[in-house]
Amino acid sequence: MSESISVTPERPPAAPREAARPPGRRRRTTYANVHRRREARTAYVFLAPWFVGLFLITVGPILASLYLSFTDYSLLEEAQWVGWDNYSKLFFEDTRFIQSLKVTTIYVVVSVPMQLAFALALALALDRGLRGLSFYRSIYYLPSLLGGSVAIAILWRKIFGTDGLVNAVLAIFDIEGPGWVSDPDTALGTLILLHVWTFGAPMVIFLAGLRQIPQSYYEAAAVDGATKLRQFRSITLPLLTPIIFFNLVLEVIKSFQSFTQSFIVSGGSGGPVDSTLFYTLYLYLKGFKSYEMGYAAAMAWVLLLLIAGLTGVNFLASKYWVFYGDTK
Amino acid sequence: MKLGSRKTMWVAALSAAMLTAAACGSGDGGEGGGGGGDGGKVSITFAYWGSDARQKLTDQAIQKFEEKNPTIDVEGDFSNWDSYYEKLATKVAANDAPDVLSIEIRGLSEYAGRGALMDLAGKLPTADLDQQVLSSGQIDGKQYAIPTGVNAFSMVANPAALEKAKKELPEDTSWTWDQWAALAQEISATGSATGAEYNFNPAWLQIYAAQRGEKFYDGTKIGMSVDTLKSWWGIHQKLIETKGSPDAAKSAEIGATGPEQSLLGTNEGALGMWWSNQLNALSKSSGQEMTLLRMPKLEGATTSGMFLQPAMFYAASAKTEQADAAGKFIDFLVNDPDAAGILLSDRGLPTNSKVLAAVKDKLPPADQKTLAFIDEVKSELSPIEAPPKGALEMEDILKRASEEVVFGRATPDAAAAKFLEEANAAIAG
Repeated sequence: MSESISVTPERPPAAPREAARPPGRRRRTTYANVHRRREARTAYVFLAPWFVGLFLITVGPILASLYLSFTDYSLLEEAQWVGWDNYSKLFFEDTRFIQSLKVTTIYVVVSVPMQLAFALALALALDRGLRGLSFYRSIYYLPSLLGGSVAIAILWRKIFGTDGLVNAVLAIFDIEGPGWVSDPDTALGTLILLHVWTFGAPMVIFLAGLRQIPQSYYEAAAVDGATKLRQFRSITLPLLTPIIFFNLVLEVIKSFQSFTQSFIVSGGSGGPVDSTLFYTLYLYLKGFKSYEMGYAAAMAWVLLLLIAGLTGVNFLASKYWVFYGDTK
Repeated sequence: MKLGSRKTMWVAALSAAMLTAAACGSGDGGEGGGGGGDGGKVSITFAYWGSDARQKLTDQAIQKFEEKNPTIDVEGDFSNWDSYYEKLATKVAANDAPDVLSIEIRGLSEYAGRGALMDLAGKLPTADLDQQVLSSGQIDGKQYAIPTGVNAFSMVANPAALEKAKKELPEDTSWTWDQWAALAQEISATGSATGAEYNFNPAWLQIYAAQRGEKFYDGTKIGMSVDTLKSWWGIHQKLIETKGSPDAAKSAEIGATGPEQSLLGTNEGALGMWWSNQLNALSKSSGQEMTLLRMPKLEGATTSGMFLQPAMFYAASAKTEQADAAGKFIDFLVNDPDAAGILLSDRGLPTNSKVLAAVKDKLPPADQKTLAFIDEVKSELSPIEAPPKGALEMEDILKRASEEVVFGRATPDAAAAKFLEEANAAIAG
């Protein structure tokens, strides 16, 4: 903005209707407006490809899916308007829908806190100026890159299979393990474990957060005789709450949308006996296996509202435990 | 990266949440199906699924066809089995359906009933094809699809494994389910192999129900009784109890894989039920010379319940602009010995008797065995008709109900009631 002041004298005189304002400030504002508008135009030109993408690939389909959720669209035939039928069927008739909600909720409620705790613990361990830190960081980050992939899901099947690695280890201790992924009692547990294992992304964010805490706090606390545990409780944890919150919100959203793990590990069925029937997997089965795309679209919107609601609750609750250094 | 602000988090949360909804919308539009002609040349697309080996064979067959029909250009559209129907449904939805496509019997009613397929009657000669098999491609009197070849769901045995357990190959014209289960138990008891592997294939249940005088599908309803389902699951439970087959979890694991990883395929089992065209794969992966047997019978049953099923069908899109070219191409695939000479039994044994006679000697030993077996049991087979719309889901519904029983999650009565309810709902729609 400073350059606009130097060129102000070249501006034409102001229009009479603007004369009431203080002259100096007005002229500068007018010029700044033009300048800003020109800048904005350039910006929009550069943003255009992104906007095209946003409307064609994101906003358009989102609105289309909202419309389709009120139809009986089958992919193969024209969509017919059915009003709220899909939604009422979802909540009042579909027991598998309730099952998928149950499975997904258990998955999120159990795996997200475990994953975050694990990520935080490792971040703390790595933050103590270890030699070769970046090496460890990369190693631990690796599962996050791979965890959602098909290859890892297949590997998981092998590790937790009847004749898999886990049972081979158990056999040493004379324990006959179940077929972890194919037994309805343990199948979901293996998927939760897989999710916990992909702790790398939140861990890296925790590490960044730990770096933001001024070292002087710890020094002062140490002078006052605070133990390590006390320092963690009174300095690290409160100052880290925004980061924990950030990770929590993102992981909850991400976990509700998990798909690949269950799709691959259960062979695309959500089995055994629907024990790994994730919400998105059921949505996919409805859309592409049963050709009930309208129904699947309704499910997607219910999921969106559900996640939005939960995130809202999360934000409301955050007032009571998240400490923003800059606002309080 | 400054994360400590409330606004940043809202934005991040919102954008992450929107992704699912976006993934579910459908981009409509697209041009009409088929390609236009350049200089009198028309082009058609042919969609199919399968292995790399099938892709190679199909490419060769397409080349041969193009040599014989220089004015038609065929473009193969290959996908693997897992994504085939997704891709097909999406293309149909986008008005971009392939001119010629492959489809299996379970999907036939779905696509024909929803108006996606063309009536092929008169588009190609069908006189030399097995008429009974051909009729399985008809729905409401219209020939929506032409069978590529045939299969029979039968018992596959590994004679070497039986011999090792000091058992004789059973006399398959008269054996019963009880005898089969007892044999499996005895083989397992010797420790040389697992006696049998079970499955929840609707084909087996269909055979079993037929032996009890019931139809799997009775129009657009399930024709089986609760008793039939319970007694069928009783066989599974008995096999698990007597260790004639692996426990429920292990069986579920094997069931999720293909023939190569089955007990027979890995040379760990003695008996298993498979489609006859899988004999080749089973023999190859195990290195054993497998043999085909009739399915066991219920004591006093008047029919074997076994049936010939088209391995898959060729069909044409209802919206194709190149109906003649599509018909010609399908004609070539099923009626021309040149095509069969390349494709052999890859899509089931050819049903055109003239074509079959021409390529018989070229078939690999396992296929010749299948051919001989099918010839032998042909007179005992029941006719097959296309199952109703929604049948694509049947395998999953049956598997789910069955697993509840073998894992002890539900009583057979409750599972049967649930199966009937879900299955009827699926095919009624």
